[in-house]
Amino acid sequence: MERGSPRNTMNTFALLNGLRFIDSFFPSGGYAFSSGLEAAVQGGAVRNAEELSRYVVESLTIGMGEREAVAVGLAHDAVVSGSLEIAFKADLELEAMKLGRESRIASRQMGRQVIRLAAEQHPGHPLLEDYLAAVEAGRSPGHMAVCLGLTLSAAGWSKEDSIASFLYQAATGFVAAAMKLLPIGQREGQKLLEGWIEVLERVSKQAAQQRELRSWSPIQDIYAMKHSRLESRLFRS
Amino acid sequence: MNQTNESTLDAVGRRGALSYEFERQGSRTVLARSSCSSPWHHFPPSYLDDSGCAYTWLVNPSGGLVGGDHVSIEAQLHTGTHVLMTSPSANRVYRSLAEPAVQEVRLSVGPDARLEWVPEVTIPFAGSRFRQSIHVDLAPGATAVLWDTMASGRVAKQERWAFASVENEICIRGLAPPSSAVPVPFLPVRVPFLPARGQPSRRAPVPGSVPWSVVERYCLVPGSLPAPLGLVENWDYVASFFVIGDAVGAEVWKHLDEVLAAIMEQRSGPVLGGVSTLAAPGLVVKLVARSAPDLTEMLEAIWGAVRANLWNLPLPNLRRY
Repeated sequence: MERGSPRNTMNTFALLNGLRFIDSFFPSGGYAFSSGLEAAVQGGAVRNAEELSRYVVESLTIGMGEREAVAVGLAHDAVVSGSLEIAFKADLELEAMKLGRESRIASRQMGRQVIRLAAEQHPGHPLLEDYLAAVEAGRSPGHMAVCLGLTLSAAGWSKEDSIASFLYQAATGFVAAAMKLLPIGQREGQKLLEGWIEVLERVSKQAAQQRELRSWSPIQDIYAMKHSRLESRLFRS
Repeated sequence: MNQTNESTLDAVGRRGALSYEFERQGSRTVLARSSCSSPWHHFPPSYLDDSGCAYTWLVNPSGGLVGGDHVSIEAQLHTGTHVLMTSPSANRVYRSLAEPAVQEVRLSVGPDARLEWVPEVTIPFAGSRFRQSIHVDLAPGATAVLWDTMASGRVAKQERWAFASVENEICIRGLAPPSSAVPVPFLPVRVPFLPARGQPSRRAPVPGSVPWSVVERYCLVPGSLPAPLGLVENWDYVASFFVIGDAVGAEVWKHLDEVLAAIMEQRSGPVLGGVSTLAAPGLVVKLVARSAPDLTEMLEAIWGAVRANLWNLPLPNLRRY
């Protein structure tokens, strides 16, 4: 807990303004998606907390940790530079790289909710309004990673904090889904999250330096593709 | 090893280029132009059936790639051609102390042309470094079938996931007509198709056409990952199969999606696979398999279904063995 010593790295106004968008209270609809976890559980690949941790850590490191996390950082750069071009490019890369239909649609649905509310509630930020206009006009897909990166950057969050918060909300989404799919309780869920914090910090630092989106999570990708054909489903992905 | 010897080893490597240009003559696809430099060996295409398809073998008789090798393959398929490109054996990548072996592939598929890219598996040996890029440009009406697969290593020697690094990028790009029902996003850059030589065989993009792309890109460095490797460590083959093009409508893709899903469901166990529609007109199949025969059987099943549903053609007998 050495790194947890109190420091003024973010002002309270910025913290609260950004926190709303990663809070589970935010109506992104994230609770309806499991990112393939439901299919992996039904397929027998994830049966307990240890296997869940393996599934999630792999995804958070070399899966979305090298793709969505990098896109968050690029979107953050776009706001800092005042030009949305780099965010549009990252958004299109995500559209091209997210091969599974359900994952692609889930990401777009969540992203649209974020950018709609962010643009509405930050009227002084024309970049958010411009991005929303592009998404609404079908000129950019509006993936969650890009929309959250734009929003948190506009709220005053640092690049690494923005990336870390994206990964954290993905991690909590996995735990929330797992608690409905596996015999995992609140305490075990918190223990899992605690164990992933160091991973999230490391991945956030790396992703902030990376410019190219890539991803290696073949098993998770396959289960995400199989999800739409499950006979009974609790989740939409 | 002293510094001089290390430098000598680092300098090992060959630069070889293989280039093909295909045209349609009557019902056949013929080789119009080609060039080749070592380590590639030039083989003219053959005709294994009466479909007119030019069956083209990519032959590297040196046995594999070493660090520092930089080999490339370029092919242009003009209007209405049908080309199948494959290799006679696995692409072996040998151990390298420093430089990666690099393979670059650029394929340009003209209007109403058909490309089938189905090379044998890549086997990255322990300590090997491999970097591959496959870029495919599709003109309106063109179709590409693309298969790319990697083994965990020399499985029979229990050498699994022991390579130093594998970087892979597959990028397939095309244009959708303005009225397309395909939900493709706006791309603010024009897709730069390779310029055609000889007679102009490309159909000009319809004004307002919407560019799309499909990308798979990864960089796998097993040594940098938290042990164990991850969920894939129980499998020995990882494969991607893309079939993309706007020559057929959405109902054909929907039917094929169901057919491919049923094939994978029938073979679940030795193979784990999923199929999905893309952000482009077409499908992707992702697979992992426990053995080479399992993988081959699955490839033949899904490729056969694609050929039958899209073109009413059977699987060719490639006569490898």
